[in-house]
Amino acid sequence: MSEPKIAVDLILKKLTESTEKAKSRAQKASEVLLGPLETDLSTTPFEVVYEEDRMRVKYYRPEKVAHKYPLLIVYALINRETMLDLQPGRSVIQTFLDNGIEVYMIDWGYPTRKDQFLTIDDHVNMYMDNVVDFILGKHDLPHLNLMGICMGGAFSVMYSALHPEKIKNLVTTVTPTNFDTDTGLLHIWMRNTHAYDMGSAYGNMPGDLMNLGFLLLNPARLIIDKYIGFFEHIDNKDFVENFVRMEKWIFDSPDVPGATFRQFIVDCYQRNLLIQNKLELDGKRVDLKKITMPLLNIYGKFDHLVPPEACKHLTKNVGSKDIEDICLETGHIGIYVSSKCQRLFAPKIVAWLREREDTPKKPTRSRKKKTPSTRTAAEETASAAVPVQKSKAKKGKTTPTRSTGKSTKNNRGGR
Amino acid sequence: MDDKDQTTPEEMFSFWMKSAMDFWQNMATVQPEAFTSFGFPGFADAREKTKKGPTRQARKSFEAGGKIFQSMMKTFSKPENLDAMMKGMDSVPDLATAMMKQALEGYHELQKQFMERAVKMGQQSKAYNFEDIDQDTFRAIRELYEKEFQKFLKVPSLGLTRFYQERFNEFVDKHNLFQTSLSEFLYMFYVPIEKTAAVMQEKLEEMAETGEIHDDFNQYYKIWIKILEGHYMTLLKSPEYTQVMDKTISSLVQYRDAKEAFICDLLQRLPIPTNREMDELYKEIYHLKKKVRALSKQAGGRPSPKKG
Repeated sequence: MSEPKIAVDLILKKLTESTEKAKSRAQKASEVLLGPLETDLSTTPFEVVYEEDRMRVKYYRPEKVAHKYPLLIVYALINRETMLDLQPGRSVIQTFLDNGIEVYMIDWGYPTRKDQFLTIDDHVNMYMDNVVDFILGKHDLPHLNLMGICMGGAFSVMYSALHPEKIKNLVTTVTPTNFDTDTGLLHIWMRNTHAYDMGSAYGNMPGDLMNLGFLLLNPARLIIDKYIGFFEHIDNKDFVENFVRMEKWIFDSPDVPGATFRQFIVDCYQRNLLIQNKLELDGKRVDLKKITMPLLNIYGKFDHLVPPEACKHLTKNVGSKDIEDICLETGHIGIYVSSKCQRLFAPKIVAWLREREDTPKKPTRSRKKKTPSTRTAAEETASAAVPVQKSKAKKGKTTPTRSTGKSTKNNRGGR
Repeated sequence: MDDKDQTTPEEMFSFWMKSAMDFWQNMATVQPEAFTSFGFPGFADAREKTKKGPTRQARKSFEAGGKIFQSMMKTFSKPENLDAMMKGMDSVPDLATAMMKQALEGYHELQKQFMERAVKMGQQSKAYNFEDIDQDTFRAIRELYEKEFQKFLKVPSLGLTRFYQERFNEFVDKHNLFQTSLSEFLYMFYVPIEKTAAVMQEKLEEMAETGEIHDDFNQYYKIWIKILEGHYMTLLKSPEYTQVMDKTISSLVQYRDAKEAFICDLLQRLPIPTNREMDELYKEIYHLKKKVRALSKQAGGRPSPKKG
């Protein structure tokens, strides 16, 4: 008779151990859950300096201002900007402040039914433009630095193309600009369904419904495994605090104004107009070639919401020669909150902005002048009195490179 | 029993008509005093004191109504009309039978499809393959609903309340269709769990045979969640899933619209503004604000802090 292959005694022993471990974990867990927990988000002090309708602008002042140009951060309409200041030690905002950057951040607020008619044009050419004008007026400056996040990044790209004279440097992070890709499920679904109709049916697109959609992108991990992981570490106070903070942020999801939602899905996801320079906002064409200011484009290699394929084409299509792509080995949110990216992401932006702090912005043709320019944006850039940037160094070497973790310049000199 | 002793339906109806006629004849000529005994004191007084006024008019209307009813009854009592009406009534059981027959046929069809589905349940589905998802059951339910039940909700409504009735029917119809689509969508989400269980079973058998059994249950969970994730990834990328999701979204949108229209009808009777009314107002405010902002910019106004 052959030996039994299943070590029943070992399994039973392990089961006993597990039961004991679970008992002790439950005891500790009750202490953790019933005790005081630090789960507040966005604890860095700020001042609300501007309000318009549901939107407000938070101003974060560093102890010592070390940069001449303030930075305006434009978050997406999906979820909230509190993610950039999730917790002490994991705060992009705090890193900027520590490096002397004055930060303004748009908080889009919670749209109600009365906001359902607001379009992308209203967000870009009304709210964003008013905020930029307000900040420029306050600092008596001709331009500022602009940083966009996800959908807010797409808005920032549109804004920079329409108002290039007001933007000194543009930073786009996990920003979708090319929607013609099948690498992300979101892109497949948005292109092949009538999801845009939900905005009209509900007035605004409900945040909860969108969140459900995001959970369905990976149900095994996001609905099951995540919570199994939580119960496995439920006796760890730090883990629980971080987990709850993240839960608070994820499910704090404002509705998206119906008209904006519809326009974003149809014009961007389905017709892919932005990257083709065909998008129009209130009759004005968004021409990416008008983006002649330095551009830093950061995205995540494992981003399942906005995959690299959706982000990386921007730099090839703008008019600027000072461009840089950075691909970090992380996901959509990890870029801002993972401990690894705390060392790579915000410090890189600070250094990049500092390098361009004293570079005079090349004159940009004002949009108000109706005489059409016969010169291309590239020609304008070439003739502008701008010192040669690192990225436009050698002609001929045009192969775009992407760094993984470390930044690499995308040499556009040959264009 | 003698045929002569039997009362035909025509005779019965004729007898009932006569009784009704007599009753309303008496009512039409009833003395005003009778009304006072029913608690209408002003009725008799009005006749005594004034020959005009609303009370007298009401009485006149009542009398006229009674007379119209009487003449109607007389017309119905004529043998030729009574015969025609009775024939019409004969067709009522036929109609009921036809309706019942249709409903039973539909039920039988549903049973048949369920049986076919039950036979299929024994067949194994392939791992990481979603082309063979059995959606026949849902298709059958939807087809059955559309063929056998939906038509009752599509019967043209008549009269003053026809539009209200139509909107209510539309609401019920869209609700049913949405529920059907949602069931199919939820079923799709269950399929990977079913497939993972089957794969896991095979894997465990293999492991048992090669003696690779883990003593840590966490390892099994890790294997299971990995297989499940793989199945979900395959499902979510499949055109079948996208199609079902699209159908669910479209039916949800249609249901929301129908519900909104029905609720508007209900709220119109109450002193509460409907969404439709508020949306119109919001739209006007939106356009007005836009105009004001444009004019303010033209006039050289700069954005001021905390506009509110």
